[in-house]
Amino acid sequence: MTNAIRAELIKMRTMPGVWVTLCLALPLTVLVIVGVLVAAGDSVPGHTFNHVHTLRQQRELLGAGYFGILVLAPIMGVLCVTGEYRHKTITTTFVLVPIRVRVLVAKVAATALWAILIGLVTLATVAAVALPWNAGLGGVTTQVTDQAGAVVPGLLASAVLLGLFGLGFGTLVKNQVAAILLTIGGSLILESLLVALARAIFHYDLNWLPNAAGAALAGDIARGFGGGGGRGGERLLQWWQGGLVMLAWGLVPLAIGYYTTFRRDVT
Amino acid sequence: MTAGAATRGLPIEVRGLTKHFGTVVAVDDLSFIVEPGRVTGFLGPNGSGKTTTLRVLLGLVHATAGDATIGGRNYGEFERPSKVVGAVLEATSFHPARRARAHLRMAARAGGHDVQRVEEVLDLVGLRGDAKRKIGGFSMGMRQRLELATALLGDPDVLVLDEPSNGLDPQGIAWLRDFMRYLAGEGRTVLVSSHLLSEMAQTIDDAVIVSYGQLRAKGTLAEITAGMTGRVMRARTPEADRLSGVLTQAGVAFRRLGPDEVAMDGVQPEQVGPLLATNQIVLYELVEEGGDLESVFLSLTAGLGFGDPASTAGAPPGPQPQPGVRA
Repeated sequence: MTNAIRAELIKMRTMPGVWVTLCLALPLTVLVIVGVLVAAGDSVPGHTFNHVHTLRQQRELLGAGYFGILVLAPIMGVLCVTGEYRHKTITTTFVLVPIRVRVLVAKVAATALWAILIGLVTLATVAAVALPWNAGLGGVTTQVTDQAGAVVPGLLASAVLLGLFGLGFGTLVKNQVAAILLTIGGSLILESLLVALARAIFHYDLNWLPNAAGAALAGDIARGFGGGGGRGGERLLQWWQGGLVMLAWGLVPLAIGYYTTFRRDVT
Repeated sequence: MTAGAATRGLPIEVRGLTKHFGTVVAVDDLSFIVEPGRVTGFLGPNGSGKTTTLRVLLGLVHATAGDATIGGRNYGEFERPSKVVGAVLEATSFHPARRARAHLRMAARAGGHDVQRVEEVLDLVGLRGDAKRKIGGFSMGMRQRLELATALLGDPDVLVLDEPSNGLDPQGIAWLRDFMRYLAGEGRTVLVSSHLLSEMAQTIDDAVIVSYGQLRAKGTLAEITAGMTGRVMRARTPEADRLSGVLTQAGVAFRRLGPDEVAMDGVQPEQVGPLLATNQIVLYELVEEGGDLESVFLSLTAGLGFGDPASTAGAPPGPQPQPGVRA
């Protein structure tokens, strides 16, 4: 099993798309950092930017990478599996590791590790950009870093489960573009529409779809990106419920994909 | 590699293998054995079920019935299968942005082999100088070599090669031929599929010939060509119409190959010569064909010698070649 995981990690490491995805975490995080500091400046007349001063703002600043993770971790998962079909390397993969469930488990592990890497890149971006900037605006750095315990586990767990979500749909769909559109478009656009419709028509909080479940797991840092604050304050699931639902959004398509696609003949 | 290990290979056994893709029967009750220490050609026209059979053998395709084993075990039953079987399947299954060495390291990891082996196989296939290049920039021949290097990572006892000479230049084909002979000389089992007969005839010890998913012949080259009793006499004449009439009267099966060309199946020169002389038919050329691998292959897979009713122009059925099938 270790060999299969190491092979998957080499595959990921040697795919340009994976590095592009990882690098995009940096500008997306900077974008959110700007947004958080602008939002903090709203409360101070005459200031475009201000240092974060509420607990929620401090957590949002530390977890500024969540938006990047929300977009990029599923793409990482999609790339991990659809690249094999796109370039027909799945043949070599299955010849080398004929027990296919072993390949899938290795892909889960590789996706999880790369998703965590995205999370770490966003945290490094926060450390390199947000903290000095916030300090320059008069903020106290330790007030932000003290929130690490509340922010980082949710951030990284979200990264892993969102990566799994992408892997699941990639296994199910196989086509790279379709899988990316389905995961990203589905969670960012379609889900927003469905949530709005469910609220308007049925007065129902549709809080078990992927984005909302991820937001519940991530907590305060996700409120601007599909969490409670961003959608009119609907009730999110508990963090652990969000985690379980997110896990299901990864595992269910993965299991269906395994039985409908992964186990099929490779001709 | 272990030089002189005369019995290191394992037999490949295909028993009653059948594979349906929907209503299409790709392989139909196919059975044969491939012995170690020999190069066995798995021959048949495109679409005859060769690739499907090899993919079943390698666990990539599920058999509808029957099985294909290596040393009595299914491919998936080996703990480290690439240590036992090296497979060359298609030269297009590479990530174009990956470098050759990275591809081999990945394959070495996946197969549980020592990564030191990567440099050895690069040397073995002559790709050391290109190891840092991206595979997307490789020629087809280089990709074939890389595929072969991947197959050799585990120093396997059995080599399964599907059309390995596709895209190779004459030098590459000659190199591959020598390489396969070298591997078989070490006692390994080498099964190589191809639809290119001329090169296979110079390489293989044994042949398994398939068509429409069914076994047509198997055995050593000598056995198969000896089994070809019905040879073909090809005549080029300006009097092809008159020759056709003479052959019909004489009860010789024939086919018109062109306005001035006639092929006579299952006859000897001693029969045709006097017939032509007696009837004073002008000849430009009279050639005996058959008896080599290519002729056997064509006769077994393309209907030649089987009295194709569409082309025998009403002639009575002539003697038919006996395929060298030894079940």
